[in-house]
Amino acid sequence: MKLYSLSVLYKGSTKANLLKAAYDLSSFSFFQRSSVQEFMTFTTALIVERSSLGSRASVKEQEYLCHVYVRNDNLSGVVIADSEYPSRVCFTLLDKVLDEFSRQVNSIDWPSGSPATVQYTALDSYLAKYQNPREADAMTKVQAELDETKIILHNTMESLLERGEKLDDLVQKSEHLGNQSKAFYKTARKQNSCCEVM
Amino acid sequence: MAESEEEVDVLVQRVVKDITNAFKRNPNIDEIGLIPCPEARYNRSPIVLVENKLGVESWCVKFLLPYVHNKLLLYRQRKQWLDREVLVDITCTLLLLNPDFTTAWNVRKELLQCGVLNPEKDLYLGKLALTKYPKSPETWIHRRWVLQMLQKECSPAGSGQKEQQGQVEPQGEAERSWHTERLQRVLQEEMRVCADAAGRYPSNYNAWSHRIWVLQHMAKGNLKILHDELSSTRLWVSMHVSDHSGFHYRQFLLKSLLGELGQSWERLQSGALNLSPLPLADALQVHRSNGDGTAGAADDHASAVPQLFHEEMELCTDLIESYPGHETLWCHRRHVFYLWHHWRKNSQGTGPQSPVLTHTAALLSEASDPHNEGRSSQAMDVDCVPDSSKHGGYTQNTKRLKRGPVPPCPGLPSEHLFVSRILSSCRSPEQGRFANAYRKWLDSVIGQ
Repeated sequence: MKLYSLSVLYKGSTKANLLKAAYDLSSFSFFQRSSVQEFMTFTTALIVERSSLGSRASVKEQEYLCHVYVRNDNLSGVVIADSEYPSRVCFTLLDKVLDEFSRQVNSIDWPSGSPATVQYTALDSYLAKYQNPREADAMTKVQAELDETKIILHNTMESLLERGEKLDDLVQKSEHLGNQSKAFYKTARKQNSCCEVM
Repeated sequence: MAESEEEVDVLVQRVVKDITNAFKRNPNIDEIGLIPCPEARYNRSPIVLVENKLGVESWCVKFLLPYVHNKLLLYRQRKQWLDREVLVDITCTLLLLNPDFTTAWNVRKELLQCGVLNPEKDLYLGKLALTKYPKSPETWIHRRWVLQMLQKECSPAGSGQKEQQGQVEPQGEAERSWHTERLQRVLQEEMRVCADAAGRYPSNYNAWSHRIWVLQHMAKGNLKILHDELSSTRLWVSMHVSDHSGFHYRQFLLKSLLGELGQSWERLQSGALNLSPLPLADALQVHRSNGDGTAGAADDHASAVPQLFHEEMELCTDLIESYPGHETLWCHRRHVFYLWHHWRKNSQGTGPQSPVLTHTAALLSEASDPHNEGRSSQAMDVDCVPDSSKHGGYTQNTKRLKRGPVPPCPGLPSEHLFVSRILSSCRSPEQGRFANAYRKWLDSVIGQ
């Protein structure tokens, strides 16, 4: 039961702008962590770009679940978790974080902000605290507030894409991914077995 | 880029040396990994050491692996002799890249047998290989061979080597205790290695089976460790609620505890009636050394088992309610309730002379497949009278056992109430399905 990343973004008219992010990559093998982080950033931005205003969704990709909340004021949050972590708690967390963020960071700064310039430091501690969903807020509180039927479920990343768009192309074009990550993606796609040597 | 045979030879020898040196420089390496790196950087070693992590750049693997593999095979075919030191280094390199290469492990077995290689060092290599390949079957299999070898070395009969040389010396007190400590350390380390591997791959059957094997072979009759394992895995399973293997391990621990407690009970009882060579005082001593530590061992056993089950069912209930829609948790509940239900049935009306052990043995063999329907055709036990005024419908069985307070016992009625409670408040369709299936199971399997 793990949370891997927690990010706040601004959904612009054509692109999503990353404002702040926190990552917990301790469960990944050491030498893969930088690539994994890049992929999470890539996925996070893509999901926000393809989600509509005022929506909540959960996108399944392999053994990960990406939960996204795009507010009507374009402020968005994404949590990447594993499939055991209760999604309800993720949406509570997103509500809370976006609410706090919007009060601490002026909306003027959202469209052009970046992790370096944005003054909001609570993400790391939220991510750490919520690793154990029971240490976080009481889950029962959310049951009354959240209407689960409104959360869109996507079984793959592909279902977010336009007709004809390919994930491989988006990976190649992405500015979030370094060359090493792009190469890693290519070989990982080819060898999908768990018993590979190389 | 190295392409000629000599160049490859030189490159490979350098890489193997770099790996050996990395271990010499840093004895605390705790993880290995492959670095995705399609091209070599000019004149730089592909071996990277960062913060106790050893990395191999991927570009060199296609040169390294076939070359070292062939070298070992030539040695094995007696076509080329290799020094012992070289064998250690080569097998180390090979197994870090491909730990399922049995031949390499077998070469290491020979090195272990002739004393060139130290067992703890070999176990360390396996541990590292598992950080990259947490399921690797050959690594786990080899590990068990090493552990068995260690056990023989540390057994009171003395090491095998000494016997071969005709010097069968009885072990002194100090030597015995050193051996015991060594085995203890090794055992604890095995638990850690298993836990780590279990965390790196979901439902890592190989890791959990190994863990069970270790307890069965290196901790026979050790009540304390069974209890310790139960408490140390509690948090782990709570954070891995769909890991079947983790919960299966807890089922194994419960069954083992039942078996051990049943045997101790038997010894106690027969001791009390002077039917066995073990006088009561000694029987109690056995329990104290097993961590029982109280004078009321008889009472302990009466309440120990119900207490165990009560706690396990509580854990299960808590997890089912907090994390709806995980089938693993419902499967676990079936296993635990089945064990509990049959233990209770078999230990009903047991007086001081009844052999609880045989009942427990019957239970353990019966309990191996709780999904068989209608195995026992005994009438449904009416002991637990449904009391709907109480939450959960628990009743008191204290009078029946004629002992101190016993924790509320789960029973068919309370289980049905649990299912109803879940169904009335659950919002997850999977949770509803699992709850209904559980109810059907209660009726068809337990209710017979």
